[in-house]
Amino acid sequence: MSQALTSGLKIGREMDPDLAMLTGEGAQQRVKQAEPDAGSIVPLWQRISSRPAESLPDYYRLPLLKEPVWIWSVPAYFYLGGVAGGCAVLAAALPGKRRFDALASWCRLLACAGVTVGPALLTWDLGKMTRFLNMLRVFRPSSPMSVGSWSLAGTGMLATLSLLLGKKAPSSVRYGTALGGVMVAGYTGVLLGNTANPLWLEKRRLLPPLFISSAIASTAGALELLPLNLHEEKVVQRFGMVGKVGEAAAMVAMERRTPANKEAVYGFEKGRGGLLWNAAKVALVAGVVLDLIPAKSSTRRKASGLLTTLGAICLRYALLETGKDAAREPQAVIGPQRRRMQGGE
Amino acid sequence: MTATGFFTDTSVCIGCKACEVACKQWNQLPADGNFFSGRSYDNTIHLEATTWRHVAFVERSLQLSGQITARPFSWLLMSDVCKHCKRAGCLEACPTGAIVRTEFESVYVQPDVCNGCGYCVVCCPFGVINRREDDGRAWKCTLCYDRQKTGGEPACAKACPTDSITFGKLDELREIARKRLELLHSRGVHEAYLYGMTDDDQPGTGGLHAFFLLLDRPEAYNLPPEPAVPTKGVGASWGTMGVAAAGMLVAAVAAVRSVEGGKK
Repeated sequence: MSQALTSGLKIGREMDPDLAMLTGEGAQQRVKQAEPDAGSIVPLWQRISSRPAESLPDYYRLPLLKEPVWIWSVPAYFYLGGVAGGCAVLAAALPGKRRFDALASWCRLLACAGVTVGPALLTWDLGKMTRFLNMLRVFRPSSPMSVGSWSLAGTGMLATLSLLLGKKAPSSVRYGTALGGVMVAGYTGVLLGNTANPLWLEKRRLLPPLFISSAIASTAGALELLPLNLHEEKVVQRFGMVGKVGEAAAMVAMERRTPANKEAVYGFEKGRGGLLWNAAKVALVAGVVLDLIPAKSSTRRKASGLLTTLGAICLRYALLETGKDAAREPQAVIGPQRRRMQGGE
Repeated sequence: MTATGFFTDTSVCIGCKACEVACKQWNQLPADGNFFSGRSYDNTIHLEATTWRHVAFVERSLQLSGQITARPFSWLLMSDVCKHCKRAGCLEACPTGAIVRTEFESVYVQPDVCNGCGYCVVCCPFGVINRREDDGRAWKCTLCYDRQKTGGEPACAKACPTDSITFGKLDELREIARKRLELLHSRGVHEAYLYGMTDDDQPGTGGLHAFFLLLDRPEAYNLPPEPAVPTKGVGASWGTMGVAAAGMLVAAVAAVRSVEGGKK
């Protein structure tokens, strides 16, 4: 046995490949450790509080659903995709006047950077990174991830073309990039809403507006960090204010608990998810307050941009963390479904 | 090809875990290690990427109807498995086309196509499919696609000593299940019911190809009471996205116009 293990061929399976062939459906599964470890099972136990099993009808308080397996790069992409989308839209809306040249070229650059780095971040999360092109193997309208992959690929090409052609880009390319940008900024909200996760499912109508308004805010936040002239600053600030107000409203609505969804919408108050969520709120409000100070100074603008950016990033991570919390809580799945059944009867 | 599936009759399950073992052996799935859950005889805990059958042990100080014990105590046993839903959340979510419907109308993940995006994991309303960390791909029960192709029955059904797991053509299974339910009801086991057998029982998934006869509420076995495929009603999300997207375009134009004063 030790020979089979040291050969590194079939580790973790306690089977000598010379004696038997592994051809079963699961035989291709790779295992890291020679001694099988807990996998994802032990952490699961550690996270579960013990509570008398009789009080609620569930199975030893064990999670009913699987947690999202996405790593840090996915919320990072959510942020970048939002910035890229907002920049693409703003670039198309700006008139071709000289005083907006700098802003327009920054927008084109950020849009292109966002939709090029974004897919790289998504690939980093894949279990099999070499197979990232399989995302474009089929088009499946029922899957927001498939729709998003195609939008991202299309917008990537258009945004690169816009960047290369610069001011000379034909309007079809400019407007095409803007439409693609809107898709990239918004589909992520639908993607989270189209899951069985109790929190995201409960808030499925709210997530797309939250993502889009936060995309506007993040765009303004990122642009405010750059050198801008007076006209450009005004445009960015007004565009951003719409997004920030929308984001704040959507966040308030996200937190709203009704008797129907009380178990699912509890993660905003505690744990890592709650911390990130509150940080997002504080940063967003602080950014708006700075915006409203009438004094004209680039430091104030940059500080506001930084706070807005931080808030938008925290928001994306908070959504993933609170989603994980909701998946861990069996009552978040059972409760709302039970009440829906009773209401329907 | 006609649709095949499982009918798992929990009223005759004895919790021997032969199905778990047979599945692991036939599919040559990696071990999960040795764990002691400390809550019941269930140390497998849940369905996983490496565990495609899982026997639940519902151990409670509760008396079942017709049961005579010195003090209230009962066990409910159920061998859980991927449900191979008629409308499968994982299949509808898979962006690569790795998850397909086979000629037996089961749901199958092609390991040579899956790129491990993890979207099926959050889209399964039963929490069945998962991505194995060191492998990187998503795995779940294949309804023994390889055995079925050569005319065999799945390993778990073959191994089940009490025929709690019955494999067969879906139409025939439904007939067997109805008869079994009638028999149980006539014997006074009124709490018995069929979980997810048809579209009417479970409109959210359109019916399960692996359905169950249960003796308590679904949540007692860690099954969702009313699961639905996430794509049901997702039109509303696309709708609000459309409205917000239009708002974004208007906001950009308005911000520029307000500075430019609308002059050309």
